[in-house]
Amino acid sequence: MMPVFPSHAWFQAVREVYNGDASLHSGGGGACDTTAGLKVGDDGYLMVFEGLECADVRPAGEGEMSEADFIIEMPLALWKEMVANVQENGKADLDHTLNSIDLQQEESIAYSPADDQYRQDLFYRYNQNFQDFFDASSRVETIFDQA
Amino acid sequence: MSEAPVTQQEYELDTSWMSTMGEWGMRAEPGKRGLTLEDIRIGSYGELPEISDNMSGHPRGSAERPDAYRVGGYGVRTLAEIWLDNATFLYEEALQRQWSSATDIPWETVEPLPDEVEEAECLLCTFFNEVEFVAGDVPARWIAQTTPDYLEPRHVLLAQVMDEARHMDVFRKRALANGGGLMRMSGATSGFVGSIDLARDFTEMSTRLHISGEGAVLTMFRMGELFGQNEAEKRMYRLCAQDEARHVAFGVMHLRYLNEACPERREEIHAYLDEAEAQIMAGLQNPAGTQAETSEALAILLGGSKSQYDEGHKKLLVIRRRQLKEYMQRVKTAGFGDRFENGRSTIPAQHAAAY
Repeated sequence: MMPVFPSHAWFQAVREVYNGDASLHSGGGGACDTTAGLKVGDDGYLMVFEGLECADVRPAGEGEMSEADFIIEMPLALWKEMVANVQENGKADLDHTLNSIDLQQEESIAYSPADDQYRQDLFYRYNQNFQDFFDASSRVETIFDQA
Repeated sequence: MSEAPVTQQEYELDTSWMSTMGEWGMRAEPGKRGLTLEDIRIGSYGELPEISDNMSGHPRGSAERPDAYRVGGYGVRTLAEIWLDNATFLYEEALQRQWSSATDIPWETVEPLPDEVEEAECLLCTFFNEVEFVAGDVPARWIAQTTPDYLEPRHVLLAQVMDEARHMDVFRKRALANGGGLMRMSGATSGFVGSIDLARDFTEMSTRLHISGEGAVLTMFRMGELFGQNEAEKRMYRLCAQDEARHVAFGVMHLRYLNEACPERREEIHAYLDEAEAQIMAGLQNPAGTQAETSEALAILLGGSKSQYDEGHKKLLVIRRRQLKEYMQRVKTAGFGDRFENGRSTIPAQHAAAY
């Protein structure tokens, strides 16, 4: 059954693809240690990277999101546009990488819930890993939540 | 053939070296990330002297030789001068996240560009070549000045030198890959950027280089993802930004450590920040500043052409606001945010003026 974006099942499916492709774990996308929060519309997720793998992705409530080093927050429509773009092109095109989207906004899509720039900078320090993760979603047949 | 009897001289094998050793019986165990520097900070090998009297260059924890020459005229011999709490982590990260400018950049995606766009890109590549020379040369000098007892930060700086070599070569490669070449040097290294090398104190250098200089360059590299004309350029800038963020992390964490260990140095650190803010954040050395040739090149790249300069300039202002905001946040994270609240710093005013 095709997972729906956004959903826990969808993130788990992408995680499996990401962890299973060794080519994504080198060349600037190597070891990465951080807990990233994702706010996708009303849903929250914590994505834990440990060494060369994405160790866990789990739904998270508002309180748990404070565990994240940084949170990537975008309107649901923009998340869907980004994932759809990846599905269409096999990876994000030049205007739909996380960093490109971030820089097109007045305020950064990433912020530290603890107001700690050192932790927010992890979004930049490990950016290739997050890009590889979402690019890996091109290999997960996806249906979109119509909400 | 001589008939003289062959006498066998007997030598006593001197194995006294076998009993001259550091602490013995160590059994470091690898963790989830392999056997890291953190994993071998065990027993006396993990003990850090507050003041190092190691002038012979003996590896920390090894047995000393009384007849060893004083080979190292180490200037950095107190822990607070250079320490940071996550040095082992940054070093391992640097090793495990290395990339190759030859094979990890999809050079095949570079295609001919309009002359004005190619020239603007080549101007930036020339600029980044210049400033990354400084970012490589300066830490290299300080590595040799630092006692080997503080091997962890030394190792991070060694990795930084490798990173900067790669940044220099990748921008040089880009300049020479698409029908262009290097442009006239910006002269940035003769101003504040060059003066980083005049620092007499490690923290002075790190504040100028890691916090102010590389923090500003980090924003530039990230911006590359916005003005990059093809996948090769976007990836080049993104991977450079990752490295740069690690260097900035070194500076932030060192300053945070120093702030806690030596509060009596706060005013001195503020003075370094005063100087940096007056120059690097606003002047010719900052392509996101207000008057540099490089800022014109950036506006052309962001707009997509010379005729779209105004559109590009508007985007540049957004980036400049980000740069200033992130700088303030980093300084605050390091423990020196009071300067933005008590009127000492002009950065909040610059940030407001960028709207």
